[in-house]
Parts: sequence; structure tokens; C-alpha cells
Amino acid sequence: MRMKLDPRTKLYMVLMVSMVVLMPAATSLLWGVRLLITLFPIILLISEKRYKSAVRFLIFYGIALVLTFFVLKKEMQGILAAVLIGYCGIVVQFAPAIITAWYCVRTTKIDEFMSAMQKMHMPDGIAISLAVVMRFFPTIKEEYGSIQDAMKMRGISFGGGNALKMVEYRMIPLLFSCVNIGDELSAAAITRGLGGNVKRTSVVELKLRLWDILLMVLFTAALGVFVYNKYFG
Amino acid sequence: MCNQQAIIEINHVSFKYKGSAEGLLCDVSLSFKKGETVLLCGASGCGKTTILRLINGLIPHYYSGDLEGNVTVAEHNIRETELYELAGIVGTVFQNPRSQFFSVDTDGEIVFGPENIGLAPKDISERKDMVVSEMKIETLLNRSLFELSGGEKQKIACASVSALLPEIILLDEPSSNLDWNAISDLRDSVRRWKEEGKTIIISEHRLWYVKDLIDRVLYLSDGAVEKEWSGEEFQNLSEAEVAELKLRPVTIEEKYISAFTDEKGKITSGKSAKISGQPSDVKQRNSLSSENDIILSEFCFSYDKRHSGRHLRKCMREGGIGECDGLQLCIPELALSSGKVIGVIGRNGTGKSTFLRCVCGLEKRCPGKITIDGKTYSGKDCLKLTYMVMQDVNHQLFTDSVKAEVMLSMEKEDEKRCDEILDRLGLLPFKEKHPMALSGGQKQRVAIASAIAAGAKILLFDEPTSGLDYAHMKQVGDMLQNLAKTGSTILVSTHDPELLALCCDEVIHIKNGRVTG
Repeated sequence: MRMKLDPRTKLYMVLMVSMVVLMPAATSLLWGVRLLITLFPIILLISEKRYKSAVRFLIFYGIALVLTFFVLKKEMQGILAAVLIGYCGIVVQFAPAIITAWYCVRTTKIDEFMSAMQKMHMPDGIAISLAVVMRFFPTIKEEYGSIQDAMKMRGISFGGGNALKMVEYRMIPLLFSCVNIGDELSAAAITRGLGGNVKRTSVVELKLRLWDILLMVLFTAALGVFVYNKYFG
Repeated sequence: MCNQQAIIEINHVSFKYKGSAEGLLCDVSLSFKKGETVLLCGASGCGKTTILRLINGLIPHYYSGDLEGNVTVAEHNIRETELYELAGIVGTVFQNPRSQFFSVDTDGEIVFGPENIGLAPKDISERKDMVVSEMKIETLLNRSLFELSGGEKQKIACASVSALLPEIILLDEPSSNLDWNAISDLRDSVRRWKEEGKTIIISEHRLWYVKDLIDRVLYLSDGAVEKEWSGEEFQNLSEAEVAELKLRPVTIEEKYISAFTDEKGKITSGKSAKISGQPSDVKQRNSLSSENDIILSEFCFSYDKRHSGRHLRKCMREGGIGECDGLQLCIPELALSSGKVIGVIGRNGTGKSTFLRCVCGLEKRCPGKITIDGKTYSGKDCLKLTYMVMQDVNHQLFTDSVKAEVMLSMEKEDEKRCDEILDRLGLLPFKEKHPMALSGGQKQRVAIASAIAAGAKILLFDEPTSGLDYAHMKQVGDMLQNLAKTGSTILVSTHDPELLALCCDEVIHIKNGRVTG
């Protein structure tokens, strides 16, 4: 079943989850809630037929969880253990937000997003900037792939062992091409009337359905549990 | 006013970009009639694009500079008209398909313009349906723009311009990144606009595909209109006259047309590369190939990751070609004469780039081997043996000076050899310059210099002449031949029949990942 959520619901979920991950989970109830709000975006990804990313996130998060709870002990010593504890800690803490944000970005079309922004009475300036950011993710991915290939051919993928060079060689061409593309993109967009003082319309009709409301309530409740626990519990 | 019907008037306009010497206009006066189709031609940097930008208002509203004179488009004075007011009047199709769409999906892109000018959602949907059925792009709907081919992207660009119903349509070198079939689709779009009575202005280097659509041709040189012909006069120009003007040929020789379009047709010049189709032909191949041939063997590839390298090889050895239906590339054996320029042609999405990537060693799962001077290289060693100059050469320049770029490729830094290489490519005067400050052609040569410094014996070029004018294309052609003379073997994939005619010694035709002729 394909569950199509309103972009506003997705944004709301991202907001809620982002706040939840900033709070510590001490009791098993809180851990349960956190697991639940991580599983939801993964299920949603599956419902959108994005199996690959769903499985990848599941494994990524699962391993970090297992390591944190069953393998790593506080009294372990050594660099490897320290790095693992730190790494898993970060993953377990922030993965819910990453997964939800990923779900939001990958399954929202730009026109749906613009339409949602209008419904929320966001100023066009903010809506357009955010839309451009979303538009740029795949572009950066494409450009980065080509640069990666070019580096392989030159045999400089590892920057001659110099970590700084490794970053520099990737960043310089990437920045140049993104600036170029951005420039051409804005020229093309404004010749088609973007940024006028006309009220922009949208063909996408958004409607909050039962699912949207249920999810919003659920995610608000999740945040509620955390807030209650921290300040009143 | 001399002509009642004039829709665009450019009156004594001079323009200079801020901080740049290129693309300036000197006292240009032009008028375009309603319903006219006009071609702007001339060398790169002659001011073609600048004229288009004057008409769509990007000058002076987006690109700033010193502007004198007046431009009037459909009774709007450009200086006093905001860009969004022009959106419904002037539509522009740009050169680069990948940087002119705002959405990430096709539907969103087509309705983007009408949404911007605030039409009612119902009208927008109607317009979209109309444009889609007119252009027959139903199959492209509801797709991600990032998975479309260049030609399909350009179709969507045309559709999204159409959806605004502009009176005037500008096309800025729209065919630069397109293959033969995509160009003929583009020509259909232009023809349809012409029938609808739109005013069309095309700036273009490839002349053969527009020649029978145009009413008038303007030849620009150094920012001024130097010559003007009617469409008919232009078609009757002799080859010598066209060459004199440094324009690309107006007509394309028959044999090249068949090479690009008719799948069975072969180039009849007798120059096609030697091929041995089946593994069992080994003896025959030996008689065919001379000692200094480069042998490519077992070049097969599938984007389906379930096909492992071993599986690919087995499938090719045992089953023969028929069994390899699922493979995107299947070349059991191919002999290339070394020290030659070899053209690689074929339609978009037919395996040309896959072939080049595999030869480069960029596709790890491709089991292909290259035999050169009796030595056999495979996998990672291919990366060292070959170098590909990419279509967007900006991706492969990493350092802050030309010298550093070349040095980076050397195992041991050797300034003398670096100078030698730069000298050979005419880059010595730019040794200390930043690669990004150079022109497109110079950047290409810097990439080549770094390839030579790394000791690459086979150089691959992916569409090196897309978007180049005739003079620059000829430069590239000469350079390729010079490189071949100094011992490199050149594989060049191209959609430009003009380039084949200029410099290629042999031609490989790829269809469905198989070499066909």
C-alpha cells in the first residue's frame, strides 16, 4: 500500500523528531518511544517502495543499537572501543532524525513542497530557497560521481595520503560546477517568471487525511512523553 | 517605424559585460518581424547569446554591464519591464539541459512557469494536457528529471516553455548536447512553433538541422551583424563560402547521415574498424590484426549488479553473443590500430559511454582486458593505461595552476618534462595560471597534458566538440591528430559528423552495446 502523506505532515514529523533526539532517553519507556518514531519513517519508506534505503537504515540503526546495548560495556578500554562507543552513541541518538529527514526529502516533489509552503503562508523567498536546496541534492550527487571518476583516473582518490588534499580535490571542482549550475538555473527560472510579485499558484492540491492527523498526533505525543519525563517526571 | 509588424526592435545597442571583454555588442540595430524564424550564427563569443539575453531581459536585469540604446519587445521597453512580466511573452530554451530545470520531476517542470505567473490550477492542468499531447511526451510524464537522457530533458524544456504560450521563443544553442535523434525531435518542436506563428530566434553552431526552417540568417562577428541572408540564399551558399565564414557545414554528407541514423548502413569509405565478432574467429583476427594493434577483449558489462565479473565472462565464452541479451555492453574482441584517431558513434543510450567507461577501468565489474605491445592489462591497470577527457572538463581539474595540474599526474615531479608536454600542447604561456581561468579549449588541453604526464597510452574523449564553433572544432580535430602522430591512440565518442570528417581514421559504430560496423 502506498501511503502518501501531506508534505506538511512530513515537515512536522521532522520537527518533532529533531526535538526528541535532543533529549536523553533514560528509561525503557523512552527507549521504546524512540524506537517507535524511528520505525515509522522506515515503514513509510517501504510503503513508498524505497526498499533499498529502508533496509540500509534498518541495518545501520539495528547494528548500532545491538552494539550499544549488548556488546559495548562502559568499562571497555582501547581506541577501537572508544571510537565504537562514540560512533554508536551518535548513531543511536541522531539516526531517527536523519531517517525522517531523508524520508521527507526523497519522497516530496518540489511542487508539492512549494504548495505546502504556500498553504502555511511562508514567504515566497523562504519557500524558493528551500526548494532550491532540495533541487540541488541530486545535482550534487551527480557532479560528485563524475568528480570521483575523474580522480580515479588520475589515481589521486587518496590525495597522495594527504587527508586535506583529499577533501580539496573533491571540493574545488564540486564548488565550481555547483556555482555554474546554480547561475544557469536561476537565469532559466527567472525567465519563466519566478520571483514576480504575482501570487504563485499550484496545481498540487493538498489535503490533510486521517493518516496525516494520526501521525501528527502520534509524533506530538512522543515529544510530549519526553518533555514530561524531563521536566516533570 | 519602418515595419508595422516588427515585434522586436533593437535600436543602436552597445553592451559590455561587467568585468569581461567577451560577448560585447557594438551599435547593433535589428528588428524581427512577427512570425519570423531567424538564425543567429557566428563564432563563439561573437555576441549571439548576448542578443538573446537582451530580448529575454536577462540583460540588464540579471547580467549587469554597460548598456546603451533601446530594446523593445512586443511594445515593452526592456529596461523598464520586470523579468516576470516578460515570462509570458518570451520563452527561452537554453543550451545545457541539466541546468535549466527547476523541479526534479517532469510534471512539476511543465507547470512551473504557469504557476509562477499565477494562473488558476484548472487552467494550468488544461495547458499541461495540451502541451503534452501536442509534443507527444505522455511517456515522459511522472518521471524524475535526473533519469532522463539529454534529448528527453530538452523535450521537457521545450514543453515547459510552450506551456507559457509565449509569442517569442528563443533557443540558445539548443542542440549542443543532443544526439541525432534528439535533434530531429527538437527540429519538430521548432517546426510546430513556426506553424503556430511564433517568432523564433535560434542561436546555433550546428546548421544542418535548421537550414530548411529559417526565413533569415544573421551572421555576427565581434559584436556586430556582418552579413545577412534570406533562408534560401543561405541554403545555396557553397561549401567554400561557408568554410570561409568559419561556420560548420550547412549540409552533411550522405554517408555520415546514414551512419548516424540508418542502423544497417555502414560508412562506405572502407575505413571502418576491424572487428572479429566471435571468439572462434581468433585465427581470422590474427590475419586481420597487425602487431601494433591494441586488442580489447572480453569487454562486457551489465548495470545489473547480479552479473558478477566471472558470470559475465562465462556468459560471453560459452553462450556466445546471443546469450548475453541482458548485457549493456558485449564486445568479445576488438582490434584498434594504435596511433590512430578512432571515432565511436551510435545513438544516445546505446552503450557508447559505457564502453568508454569500461575501457578506462572505471567499471570494476567489467572483466575486459587490453593487450598492447604484447602486454595484457586488466582492471586497475587499465586506469593507468588510459585517460578519459570528460565532456565537462571542469570535473577533472583539481589544482590551482596548470603546472601543478601536470605535476600531480607524474610519479616523480619532473619540471623539464612538464614544460615539454605543455609546450607540445601550446600551454607554456599559461603555466602559472589557474586552470579555471582558462577557456574551454585550453582546459581540455590541460586535461590532456595531465593524461600524457601520467603516461596514458590510450586517450578517450567523450563528446569533445559539443557546443563548439567550427574554428574550435577544427582545433580539436587537429589536436587529436597530432596526439595520434605522437603515438597515443585516440578513441573519441561524438555526435558531430563534422568531427568524423575532420579527423577520424576509423569509425566504430556501437548499437545496443555491440560493435556493428
